[in-house]
Amino acid sequence: MLALALALAGGIAADTVRARPEHAGEAPPQQVAVHRQPALPVVAIRMSLLADDPPGYAGAGHLFQHLLLPSLQEQVRRVGGRVSIGRSADAVVYTVSGPASELDFLAGVLRSALRAPVVGTAELLSALNQVADERSAEREIAPSFVRASLRARLYPDQLPAGGTYLAAKRLETARLEPVWASMYRPERIAILAVGDVEPEAVRRAFRTLPEADPDTAETLADSLPAFGGRSPEATRGWVGAAWAGDSASPAALSVAARLLRRTLRARFPAAQVDAEHWWTHDGQAVALVMAAPGAQLPALRRASAAALDSVVARVDEEAVRGAADDVRREMLFYGRTPERMAELLGDFADRTGDRGAAQAFYEALGTVTEADVRTALEVLNRAPAARVEVPPQRLRTTP
Amino acid sequence: MTRRLLASAALLAAALASGGRAAAQQADRIVIRAEPGTPVVAQELLLAVGAADEPELQPGIAYLTARVATATARPVLDSLGARLEVQARREGLEFTLTAAPDVWEDASRALLTALFRDPTDSASTTRERARIVAELEATENSPAAVAGRAADAALYGAEHPWARPPQGTSESVATLTASDVDVFLRKNFTADRATIAVVGPVDPAEARGFLVGRLNAAPLEIAEAPAPQPGDTAVRQEFGSITAWVSASYSFGADADLDALQLLASVVAERFAFSSSTRQLYDARGEVVRHRGGGEVRFTLVVPPAEVDAWGERLRAAVASVAGAPLPAGVFNDRLRRYRGERLLELDSPEARARALARELWLTRSRATEAVVSLGVLTPERLQRAAQSLKAPVMVYLGPFENAEH
Repeated sequence: MLALALALAGGIAADTVRARPEHAGEAPPQQVAVHRQPALPVVAIRMSLLADDPPGYAGAGHLFQHLLLPSLQEQVRRVGGRVSIGRSADAVVYTVSGPASELDFLAGVLRSALRAPVVGTAELLSALNQVADERSAEREIAPSFVRASLRARLYPDQLPAGGTYLAAKRLETARLEPVWASMYRPERIAILAVGDVEPEAVRRAFRTLPEADPDTAETLADSLPAFGGRSPEATRGWVGAAWAGDSASPAALSVAARLLRRTLRARFPAAQVDAEHWWTHDGQAVALVMAAPGAQLPALRRASAAALDSVVARVDEEAVRGAADDVRREMLFYGRTPERMAELLGDFADRTGDRGAAQAFYEALGTVTEADVRTALEVLNRAPAARVEVPPQRLRTTP
Repeated sequence: MTRRLLASAALLAAALASGGRAAAQQADRIVIRAEPGTPVVAQELLLAVGAADEPELQPGIAYLTARVATATARPVLDSLGARLEVQARREGLEFTLTAAPDVWEDASRALLTALFRDPTDSASTTRERARIVAELEATENSPAAVAGRAADAALYGAEHPWARPPQGTSESVATLTASDVDVFLRKNFTADRATIAVVGPVDPAEARGFLVGRLNAAPLEIAEAPAPQPGDTAVRQEFGSITAWVSASYSFGADADLDALQLLASVVAERFAFSSSTRQLYDARGEVVRHRGGGEVRFTLVVPPAEVDAWGERLRAAVASVAGAPLPAGVFNDRLRRYRGERLLELDSPEARARALARELWLTRSRATEAVVSLGVLTPERLQRAAQSLKAPVMVYLGPFENAEH
């Protein structure tokens, strides 16, 4: 699952939620789930707030995370623990890890993240700068630029997790409490603990959560930033393509992406080839990102244009089984620490609302057939592909 | 007829006894920790082939041979979705294999065959040699690497095998040939030098049976390194960096209290963590490095060149203060709480637990699988005694001293 998980992260990291039918308005009930892993007396607790950024305040969720992170780090340091933050298309996510004996302390650290941070101007500006740096990085680095451009073409209404310049200016002077109040509801919180802990102990640790504040922020308009202009400087040429596949079986799409990667890696052993299954609440897609020295760029372009057909020509039961096993083994490898397992299970649960979604996906991989993959490829082929290219930079020599 | 039957029975009994001893010797080099809830199997193989086995003019040949030997297994491992990491240490080579439960035996078989049965090929040697040289060129002249080598030479003696970098140098590796690798492999890569730990959702008896069948029956063979000959004066080495490095290495013997020493390393390093009172301190680390028969607690500080002597004194004073009096209970409990968490999280992956178990088996012959994840009862007095047990430190200063006053 390593590649798949990274692909999912790549696919959702820069997206934020604008109109999400399954979560907007009616929030799911607060849930606590525990995945027992008794191998070591440690626990990873993942807390996700299933919420959009308030209209007009794109990037607010991620900004709150950056504002809170120093305090959270300082707290978990006392027990030798770790903390991480992540903003997906589905949720604002905090994860802490530490000794299982410190469950209550770690839960308290997470609960402290459920209030609007009280910060001074210096802290606010510092956090805004960090989020701005993340926004910029997406445009300055070729592989990130290719992925972000493909997402912008597939999902033109989406805003990046880091928000926009205009929203950031608004947040610079806004009262943060109403903005937070627009996002937070206790029933939107999902807790997932992985490690050597009992379910009852985890439920007890999160029995009380802060009340929701009715004083919410005024609804404002978001402006969608144009994702165009100059592409980043790159030493190699980059070619990207993405195909929407909303109605296809997720397991079959993952296998199709793996087959696509295998096919093109075998054909271009000296190139960098990634084929990823993107899956968010907005839909699914398969994305292809390739890089090679400039001389190979025409060949990559041709391969990208005929990519799905090249898989269709080679797919058979044996190849499907091998690719599906590959994805299943990567899931196991990725989830080998409590923290990673929490991330894996939590991402699936946030996306679908089903705690057992990761397990169901794993089992579905075991039954994917050649026909399923062919159907998935047909779905991908129905709509025109989104395409992006970053040419290699040309070095000028002075006469 | 009766006499022949009795003789046959005696021979059979002798053979069974011999086979039993062989199996016992093999089993002594294997430790299994069954973890039903862990999603993958991690196998750590320690091969007792290190700097002491390398010809004097061939530093780095053990690591190059390990990389070349495993290159043949990589395609098989890739097809199984298994991961392999190879690292060189002073006393031996570490092979860390991680695989899904349904294929770990296939992956293990591929690795063991590559290490102990397959010949090497010259194309792999050329490729791996170029890769290692590139890796070393990128790192070996960093201040951290140079400071580490200077500290090793001061602690073990300049001519001691452990004073050489375990991966060799870019210069030494570049001269190694396919023939050198082939000779080294045949002489040193033998199953009687292997120690193996397996962690994951396995049946212990089945996993042990699988591995016993692939290790030969000889007892563990380890080339003894010469006794360290630490210098008795501080070493000052000029280096063209903008920061200076201070290291203090405290030796300890085989009977040291390791849990307490590891806590000591954490407590002392914590005193030098960046804060408002240590703004001019760029980095501080404390680590316990073990070898057969003992080890060292090494502290490293990165400081402004003009303050290098003062920080060296503060470092020694910090260790001396822990040896001088027990920490107050409140302070001790805070430090212990943090230390326990850090130790546990260091072991949060199955491959980290396999590595810890294999090292423990190799160093102490202990096969207690729970000891690796549990700490004994630590007290302020125990910490104090551990600090008192350390020998005088070997101090090494690295930096641009000539310009320090500027």
